[in-house]
Amino acid sequence: MARRCAILKNPYEVLGIKEGASEEEIKKAYRELVRKYHPDQYRDNPLADLAESKLREVNEAYEYLMKNKNTSNEYEQSKRKSWWNNSKTENGGFYQQVRVQINNGNLDAAEKELNSTSDRPAEWFYLKGLIFLKRGWYDQAYTHIQTAARMEPYNFEYKDALRRMNNANNMYRMNAYGRGYNKDLDLCQICQCLWCTDCCCECAGGDFIDCC
Amino acid sequence: VFGYIVPEKPELKIKEYELFRAFYCGLCKSMGKYHGQVARLTLNYDSTFFALLISCVFNEKLDIKKERCILHPFKKRIVLKNNKVIEYISDINILLAYYNLKDNWDDDNSVISVAGMVALKRACKRIEAKYAGMAEAIKKHLREINELEVEKCNSIDMAAEPFARLLGELLVYKPLLQSEEAEKIINWIGYNVGKWIYIVDAYDDIEKDLKTGAYNPVVLQYCYNKGENKGENACEFKNRVRDKISFILTYCLGQIAKTYELLEQRPYSGIIGNIVYLGMLKKTEQILYGKEMCNIEKSV
Repeated sequence: MARRCAILKNPYEVLGIKEGASEEEIKKAYRELVRKYHPDQYRDNPLADLAESKLREVNEAYEYLMKNKNTSNEYEQSKRKSWWNNSKTENGGFYQQVRVQINNGNLDAAEKELNSTSDRPAEWFYLKGLIFLKRGWYDQAYTHIQTAARMEPYNFEYKDALRRMNNANNMYRMNAYGRGYNKDLDLCQICQCLWCTDCCCECAGGDFIDCC
Repeated sequence: VFGYIVPEKPELKIKEYELFRAFYCGLCKSMGKYHGQVARLTLNYDSTFFALLISCVFNEKLDIKKERCILHPFKKRIVLKNNKVIEYISDINILLAYYNLKDNWDDDNSVISVAGMVALKRACKRIEAKYAGMAEAIKKHLREINELEVEKCNSIDMAAEPFARLLGELLVYKPLLQSEEAEKIINWIGYNVGKWIYIVDAYDDIEKDLKTGAYNPVVLQYCYNKGENKGENACEFKNRVRDKISFILTYCLGQIAKTYELLEQRPYSGIIGNIVYLGMLKKTEQILYGKEMCNIEKSV
């Protein structure tokens, strides 16, 4: 894989840095890109697979550059690996099947399956919400996932999905503020945004603010 | 429906501003050249954004000239010439403007709409003949929009769907996009932009629609003046639903921003980022919080 990337694309270009950039620069660019294309950022997006291949490209470029510098660092590698293994396997049977279909992007089939049962447990609402989310029906998605979280308040998965949706908006706003939107914004809001992002990154295995 | 997508001018670099204007003038001139002077009146900033977006994928050498025009007869301006993306976007701009006028005509029978339709009719026929299947796609989605209006659909998501899809499909013009990946990305951006436009427009029209009794999905979904909210006025209603609408709109913008990052080449990131993060967010908040602010207490 690394070789293919080296032939097809200039690893420096992939990372968006100048050729001959220092190791520090490479690492910095790499970290930023990983944050940008992290699978968690695209969970609600039907093009998640594209983000994944982008990330793979970034990983390959980084690996290639690091290997050539003979400074491959075990810690970074183990950290990178853990991001790929975040697939969940819970609950057998009916809902598992629906989950597989949703993950494969088979939304129509998944929805048909869900509608075929008259049973309405929290998981039903959750999965229905996920389908809506991938279709771009954000309002319905939020309502359904909220219902699921209300029915089973101690379920981490549902709560997490809700938090993620709220976080997506915070991320966007933070980027906008970073670009100079509403400069006279009060400090309180900025702090809140930073804090939310930090939490989000920490949950995903990274970190936004190092000291907390 | 159109004209909501604007850049935040003070935050643009001068070169970005010039390039944005070159695209805008390019579109305007292209419309004049192929479809007559009246067609130029339909141009809006939305199309400029679409042209920039598709130009990220269809990488053509920019042919830039300095020219005068009727509106600016004394000072020469930078204009983008002979550009395939510009040509395509100016074509769909005219089609959308035509169907928008037609829709207005069905609603209010105004003279302006008819005059516009007559003026654009020939250009429209020509464009429809140029792109196979496009007219059918537009008509199909517009029919769906009308059906949902007649049914009095009370789900914002469902009501916004046909317009969102229409925009997504219109932006995917295969000869310009060249890869399946790019098609998917542009389609999803188009979908979310369409959704955002539709919902912004619906929220913007609440007062007007309440007065005339016209269809408005926001009014229906959040049950204006019914049940426990009996006796509320338009302003109170807007305050009540503001956060929910804000959530959906911000989500659309977040998706546009994120999906854009997936494009292979992003030569106009400065302008597109400015539009997506600053211009569209500002527009959203202007519409949500209104110029007159609807006497709300903004939470800290």
